Amino acid sequence: MNEKATALVIDDEPQIRRLLRILLEQEQYRTLESDNGRQGLSEIALRRPDVVLLDLGLPDMDGMSVLERLRQWSRVPVLVLSVRDGAGDKVVALDTGADDFVTKPFESAELLARLRAIQRRSQAGAEEAVFAAGHLVIDFNSHTVNVKGSEIKLTATEYALLKILALHAGKVVTHKQLLREVWGPNAEEQSQYLRVYMMHLRKKIEISEGPDRLLRTESGIGYRLVIPPHKAPD
Amino acid sequence: MAPFISEKPRGIASPQNEYWIAIALTVLVTVVSWPIEPITGHAAVALFYLLLVVVAGLRLGRGAVLLVAISGGLLWDYLFNPPHFAFFPLTLQDTILLATFLAVGLAMGHLTSQLRLKEIMEGKRERRTAALYELVQQAGLAPDLDSGLSAALRLTETLFGVRAALLLRQPDDGLAEKSFLTSSFSLDAKERRAAQWAFSHCAPAGKFTETLPDGQAIHLPLQAHAEVMGVLSVLPSRDTVLDSAEKELLEAFAVLIGNILQKEQLLQSIKQAEMCVAAERVQLQRALLQSVSHELKTPLSAVQAGLEALRREIGGSQRSQAAVFESQQALRRLRRVINNLLDMTRIESGVVHANLDWCDVGELIQAATDLAADGIGENRIVIELDNNLPLVRVDQALLEQCICNLLLNASAHSTVGGKIEIRAQVTGQQLFLSVLDEGRGISEADLPRIFAAFQRGATATPGGTGLGLAIVEGFAQAHGGSVSAANRPSGGAEFTIKIPVETLRAEVLERLA
Repeated sequence: MNEKATALVIDDEPQIRRLLRILLEQEQYRTLESDNGRQGLSEIALRRPDVVLLDLGLPDMDGMSVLERLRQWSRVPVLVLSVRDGAGDKVVALDTGADDFVTKPFESAELLARLRAIQRRSQAGAEEAVFAAGHLVIDFNSHTVNVKGSEIKLTATEYALLKILALHAGKVVTHKQLLREVWGPNAEEQSQYLRVYMMHLRKKIEISEGPDRLLRTESGIGYRLVIPPHKAPD
Repeated sequence: MAPFISEKPRGIASPQNEYWIAIALTVLVTVVSWPIEPITGHAAVALFYLLLVVVAGLRLGRGAVLLVAISGGLLWDYLFNPPHFAFFPLTLQDTILLATFLAVGLAMGHLTSQLRLKEIMEGKRERRTAALYELVQQAGLAPDLDSGLSAALRLTETLFGVRAALLLRQPDDGLAEKSFLTSSFSLDAKERRAAQWAFSHCAPAGKFTETLPDGQAIHLPLQAHAEVMGVLSVLPSRDTVLDSAEKELLEAFAVLIGNILQKEQLLQSIKQAEMCVAAERVQLQRALLQSVSHELKTPLSAVQAGLEALRREIGGSQRSQAAVFESQQALRRLRRVINNLLDMTRIESGVVHANLDWCDVGELIQAATDLAADGIGENRIVIELDNNLPLVRVDQALLEQCICNLLLNASAHSTVGGKIEIRAQVTGQQLFLSVLDEGRGISEADLPRIFAAFQRGATATPGGTGLGLAIVEGFAQAHGGSVSAANRPSGGAEFTIKIPVETLRAEVLERLA
C-alpha cells in the first residue's frame, strides 16, 4: 500500500470495534468506526474509506440492506463479518455486492489477507498481463498457463474459469458468478458443470493435495484462488 | 352397461311367458285329471284346479293367475261337470263351487301382485344399500381424494347408465369452471348455469327437476351438512327416464360424495394447521439458536482478535509468546466445543436440513482435511479415492463437518504420527465415506453407544466433548443416511458414513456440454 489506507468498521459490538481498530492500526490502516447502519452509510459518503468491514447483524437495519443501498452509489470494497454459520447469508451478501466475508470468530491473518485481496481488486485499474501465484503463472495475452515452469494445456472452459478466479485472486467467487460468466446467465443453477470443470482444473494445476493448494472450496458458496502467503509472486 | 337398478327381481318370468306357463299348467292338470275323474268324482277335480290357482298365485302375476282361474273354471264345467262337454245345466252346488273358484282366483291374483310389489321394493332397497356401500368402499376409502372421486364417477356411470361429471368447490368458495379431471363429459354454458344454480341454491336442477328442466343433464348439489362442496352432473342418454327411486339414489350419491369431500377438506386443514405449528416452532428455535450463537461467538471473536494483536505487539519475549500461543490453542479448543454444542442443539431441535447440491467428493474431502488441519497434530492423512467417482448430490458443508469430526476423533485415538486413511466410494446410489485409523480401536463396551451424545470412550484423551460422533450421526441422518463403527482386523477403528445419493457421471455431463 502506497499511503495509509482508511478502513471503516460498522459493527454494533464496541469490543469488536475496539479490537479491530487495534488490529487494523497495527497494519497501518487509519480506522473509522460506526455502530449502526445509517451512520455507517453517511460515514462512507463523507469520509470515503478505502475499505469497509460490515457486520451483518446491526441494530437499526439489516447489514444486507446497508449493502443494497451502498451499492447504488459506491463501489467501495466491503468485507462482511458474519457470525452465522450457514452459507445462505454469505451467498446473499456476496450476490448483493459484498466482496468477501469472514466468519466470526475470525483468524486475524485471514481477515487481513481478505482485506488486502479485496482492496487490490478494487485498485487494479488495467488488467495486468501476467498473473502469478506460487507455482502458477498465467499469461493473459498469450492465454498460456504454466505450472512449475512448464506449460499446460487447458480447454477453453477451464481457462475461462481459471481466469476469473485469478482476476479475483484471494477473494471468493460465488458459484453463481462463475456459472454466469463462463456459461452465461441461463446456467446459474447448473452447478454440476462447475463441479466437473473445477475437478479437471484441479487435476491440471494443483501440484499437491496438502494445505498449499491454490484452489479452495467455500462449501455452499464458491471458490477462492489463494495466493500463497509467504512466497511473493515473482 | 345396462342400468341394473331397473332390472326385474330374480326368479320371475316375463309377463308373456307367464301366460304360456299358465296355459301349460292348466292343460297339464286337465290331462292328468281326465283319467282319474271316474274314480275321484268331478268335485275332486275342481279342487285340483283350485290347487293350481293357489300354486300359480305363488309364482305368477295377477293376469296369469286370473287366466288359470277362469280357464280352469270353464274347463271343469265343460269337461268334468256332468253333463260332459256342455256348460249347462248347472246345479246350485256347482254354481257355488264355480263362484268360489273365481273368488279364490281373484283373491290370489291380488295377493300375488301385492307380494310382487313388495318384493320389487325390497329388491330396490337392497340394491340401493349395496350401491351406497359400494360408493363408500370405492370412493370414501380410496387412498387419495382424486382416485376416490374417479371411483365415484365410474360407479355412478355404471349404476345409472349415464355419463357423469363433477364440479368442485374452489378455495375461494366459488364453483370450479372446469369439471373434475376424470369426468366423462364437459358442461356447455347452459348446463354450467344450471350447475351453478344447483350449487348456489343447494337444490337439484336440470332435467327431471323443477328448475331449468329443458337441459340435457341433471345437476345435484354435493351437500355435506350446511355446506355445498360442489355439483354432480349426470347426463342420461336421450331416451332414459329416471324413476323417483333412482333420482333419490342419485341424490344420496351426491350427499355421500359431498361428505367424502368435506372429510378430506377437514383432514387437509388439520394437516395444514399442524404444519404451521411445526414451522413456527422451527422458526423460533432457529432465532433462538442464532441469538445464542451470536452471544457466544462475539466475545470469542473479541478474545481471539485481542490475542492476535498481543502476539504481534510483544515480539521477542519468549515466555509471553508461549503464553499467547497456549491461550490461542485453548481458544481454538473452546471454539470447537462451542461449535459442537451449537451443532448438537441444532440436530436435537430438528432444524438441521440438508441443502443438496452437486459436489465433487475429492473436493469435499480436501475441504474437510483443511477444517481439521489444526486439530490433528502430527497424524498423517492418506486419501484413497475411487477413480472416476461421479458427482453426488449432498450438503457439502454438513459432510465436511462429519469427516472433520471423524478425523479429529481418529487423531485423538491414534498414536503420534499414526496414519489416518480416508476412503470414498460410490456403489449404485450409495455414497460411502470411511475414516480409518491405526489406533487402539474401540472397546466392546463402547461400541453399542459410541454415537450417543456425551459418551466418551474409556481411552479418550482429554479435550473432547463427547459430541463429535453424535454430530456425525445427526448430519448423516439429515441426509437419510447412517454411520457405523467397527474395529479393523489389523487394529484400529473404522468409521463409515453411508448416504443414499443421486449421482452424475462426469462423462455424461461432458457429452451434454
